[in-house]
Amino acid sequence: MTATAPLPATGKRPRTAPRHPYRAALASARGRTGLVLVALVVLAGLLAPLLAGHSPTDQSSQSLAPLGTPGHPLGTDDLGRDLLARLLYGTRADLGIIVLSVPLGALLGCLFALLAAVHPVLDTAVQRLFDLVLAFPGLILALAVTAILGPGRLPVVLVIALAEIPAFGRLLRGGILVEREREYATAARVGGSSRIRVLTRHILPNAADPLVVQIAVSLTVAVFVEGAMSFLGVGVRPPQPTLGSVLSQSVPYLSDAPHFAAGPLITVTALVLGLSLIAEALNREIRR
Amino acid sequence: MRGHVLRRLPSALLILFVASLVIFAVLRLVPGDPATSLAGPDAGPETVAAIRERLGLDDSLPSQYLHWIGGLLTGDLGPSYAIGGQSADLISDGLGATVELTAAALLFVIALGTAFGVLGATARRGWVRAAVRALTTGALAVPPFVTGVLLVLLFAVLLKVLPPGGHVSLLTAPDLAVQYLLLPALCLALPSAAVLGRYLKDGIERALAEDYVRTATAAGVHPRRLLWRHALPNALPPAVTLLGMQTGHLLGGAVLVEAIFAWPGLGQLAEQALTRRDYPVVQDLLLLLVTVFVVVQLITDLVYAWLDPRIRWE
Repeated sequence: MTATAPLPATGKRPRTAPRHPYRAALASARGRTGLVLVALVVLAGLLAPLLAGHSPTDQSSQSLAPLGTPGHPLGTDDLGRDLLARLLYGTRADLGIIVLSVPLGALLGCLFALLAAVHPVLDTAVQRLFDLVLAFPGLILALAVTAILGPGRLPVVLVIALAEIPAFGRLLRGGILVEREREYATAARVGGSSRIRVLTRHILPNAADPLVVQIAVSLTVAVFVEGAMSFLGVGVRPPQPTLGSVLSQSVPYLSDAPHFAAGPLITVTALVLGLSLIAEALNREIRR
Repeated sequence: MRGHVLRRLPSALLILFVASLVIFAVLRLVPGDPATSLAGPDAGPETVAAIRERLGLDDSLPSQYLHWIGGLLTGDLGPSYAIGGQSADLISDGLGATVELTAAALLFVIALGTAFGVLGATARRGWVRAAVRALTTGALAVPPFVTGVLLVLLFAVLLKVLPPGGHVSLLTAPDLAVQYLLLPALCLALPSAAVLGRYLKDGIERALAEDYVRTATAAGVHPRRLLWRHALPNALPPAVTLLGMQTGHLLGGAVLVEAIFAWPGLGQLAEQALTRRDYPVVQDLLLLLVTVFVVVQLITDLVYAWLDPRIRWE
C-alpha cells in the first residue's frame, strides 16, 4: 500500500458516497444482465411497427414456412402469418398488459394496506379479503373472471391486478406494522403530524423498498398469467398475437415445425429471466 | 389435537361460505340469460322457459342458493346442460385424472426438492451446488408453459422416448399410463420442487451450523446420520408448510399443465364448461377447487403442529 501503489493525494479519490441501493443493484452483474435482457425485449416490443415487415394478422399462402424464407425471416405459422411480426406484436401486447395490470394491482394493494392501517376492525376485514382472493388459485380466478367478462384483453389485465392485490397489500401492511413502532414515527406523531400524514409522508416511503422488489416479481407473474390464460383459451382474443397465444398455437406443430415455438420461447424466457435477475439484485441490495 | 382442529374450523368454514356466495354471485352476474345461451340461437321461448324451469332460474336467489348447496351436500349435482351427462360424473372423472397428475407431481416435488435441498447444502463439489442453484433459479423463473413446451421438444420430438400429450388410465395399462404421466407431472412439479429445495437447503445449512451438531460431530456421529437424522428433520417443519401451500399451487397449476399436455382433468373440464357456458358445472367445479385448497391448508397446519412439538395445539 505504501511502496508499490502510492496513495493519490487526499481528495483525489474520496471514499465514494454510498450509492442509492437501487442504482447499486442495477449496476451489479445480476442487475446489468437483467436490464440488458429486459431492454432487448422492451425494444423489440416498442419498435414492432418498424421491425416487422408484415401485419401480424395477414395470412399468406405459405403455411409453416421454415426459418430464412425470403420475406419471412422467422418463417410463417400454420395460417401463413409472418412469425417475426407475430412475435414482435405479441411482445408488444404482453408488455402493454403487464405495465397496465401490475401497477394497478400494486396501487389497489397499497390502498387496502393503508386502509387496514387506519383501524383494527378495517385491518381484520382487509385481511379476510386477501385470504379470500388467495383461496382461489390464480388460474381458477382467471376462469371465474373470464366467465363474467368473456375473453379479451380487459379480463387478462383485471385477473393479474386482482391476483397481485394481496401480494402488495400484505407486504405493505407488514412494513407499516414494523415502521410505525420506530422512533421517527413516534417523533413525527409527537411533533403534531396527523395520523394520515405520518402514514403517507413518513411511514410509507420507509416501507416502500420491498414493494419495488415485488413489482419486478409481479411483472414476471404477469407474463406467466397472460401465457397461461392464452393456453387455456381465455386470453386475448385471436387473431391478435400475444407471446402466450403464439406459443400455445405452436404446440400441435412442435414435431413438424419446432421453429414456430422458438421465437416466443426465447422471448418469454429472456423477459422473465431478466425480470427475476433484477428482482434478485434489488432484493440483495435492499437487505444489506 | 381435536381442539386445534375445532379452533381452525370456523375460519375455514367462513372462507368456504363466502367463496360459495362469490361463486354463486359471479354466475348470476354473467351477462345474458344462461338459459338463452344454453338453449342456443334457434330455440323457441318454450325451450328457454323449460330450461329456466330445470335450472330453477325462476326461483328467488336465496332459494336457488339453498338448492345448490343442498344438492352439493347430498351429492346430487344435477345434470350438465351443454356437455351432457351428470355433473357429478363429469367432475369425478376429471377429478380422478387431476388427482393422478397432482399426486405424481407431488412425489416429484418431494423427491426432487429433497435432492435439491440436500445437494445444494452439502455437496462437496462447488459445481454441483452451482448446478443445483442454476436449476432451481431457472425452474422458478421460467413459466410452466415454457418448461412444458421445452420438455415436449426434448423428450417427445428430439429423443422420441415419451409421448407429447394425452392420457391413458392407470387401471387399464399401467406401463403406458406412466409414460403419459411423466412429462406433465415433471412440468407441474419443477417450480414447486425448486421452492422446496431452496427452503430445505437454507434449513439444513442453518441446522448444521447449530451447536448440537458440533457436539454430535465431536462425539463421533457419522456425517450422513447427522444429516438425515438431525439436520433434515429440523429443517422439515417450515418445508411442510410450504409443501402444503405448494399442493394448492399444484392443483391450480394442473389446470394449465392439463391444457398443454391434453390431460383430461378438472382444468380441461373447466375450460370446456366455460367455453360452452355450462354454468352449473362451472359453479360446482369452482367451489370444489376452493374446498380442496382450504382443506389442504387445514391439513398443513395440523401436520406442522405434529412435526414441531413446540407448537401447542391448545
